[in-house]
Amino acid sequence: MSAETAETTEILLFQVGARLFASVVHDAVRIGSVRDVPAGELVVGTALGMPFARERGIVVASHGDGAERTLVVDHVIGVRPVTEAELHPLPAFAAACLASGAVTGFVIVDEAPVLLVDLPTLVREHPGAAPQRAA
Amino acid sequence: MSDPIAPAQGDPSTQAAGPEAWFFCLRLLGGRYAFEAPLVTEVVRVGPLTRLPAAPAFLPGVFTHRGEVLPLLDIGQLVGQAAIPIRASTRAALVHCGPWKVAVVSEAVEGLVALSRRSLEPPPAESSGVAEFLSAVGRDRLGAVAILDLPRLVETARARAVPAGSGHA
Repeated sequence: MSAETAETTEILLFQVGARLFASVVHDAVRIGSVRDVPAGELVVGTALGMPFARERGIVVASHGDGAERTLVVDHVIGVRPVTEAELHPLPAFAAACLASGAVTGFVIVDEAPVLLVDLPTLVREHPGAAPQRAA
Repeated sequence: MSDPIAPAQGDPSTQAAGPEAWFFCLRLLGGRYAFEAPLVTEVVRVGPLTRLPAAPAFLPGVFTHRGEVLPLLDIGQLVGQAAIPIRASTRAALVHCGPWKVAVVSEAVEGLVALSRRSLEPPPAESSGVAEFLSAVGRDRLGAVAILDLPRLVETARARAVPAGSGHA
């Protein structure tokens, strides 16, 4: 299958601490500064680790209740298309051992595996997550 | 990169002790440990590790091998001992245990060893550390070989990990 005809998925690349992560772009409602968001409403320090700078926020619509929560990250790198062949599920043993269900697999970016994260699951798992406002 | 699973030279004395069984021997925790050879599909070089968030210590990460993402199992960490160092030359045995496919990291790979099942002795009575997972102890010309019940070890590792959804980072 050629690159022109291969089906692609758009992923959002972001950084938490020193590490790069990816999510399906549809998981993010919007991206913005976290300066105006009350501290108690931010999702900081998830299974992905603690952000250094706490500069940017990815607003995520939580599954089920439709509430929006803001995941604090260090940088949002951007959006890029990936082909089906670049997406890999998490190995079954790893999936069975992780304390977080938010890591769903990998995407190969520039020949390196980057963790693919389900953002709604990630913010739902965060014990201190407070709803911002109903959708 | 992978290596063929080459048989090591067997101990002639085992032939007199009954039919031989093949085991796959690794060096780890400063000793020789083996498990049933049919569990092993290949020996692979451990590539650059991608660490997983919220993973137990015995799962130091995953790596890609021929386009497949493989989880790395560190038996040292599982039994409360030091982590096996990951270097460019580090190799792992790729094993299938029931539904699980894992790469067992080692200090060195010895390969196949033939041991007579009748010559195998019961493991030490200890129930802590790696002794918990021993099924027998054998001996060849290079010395003692501890036989691991690898399917039980892998299943225990999975059971000791906090299942997804029941814990928080």
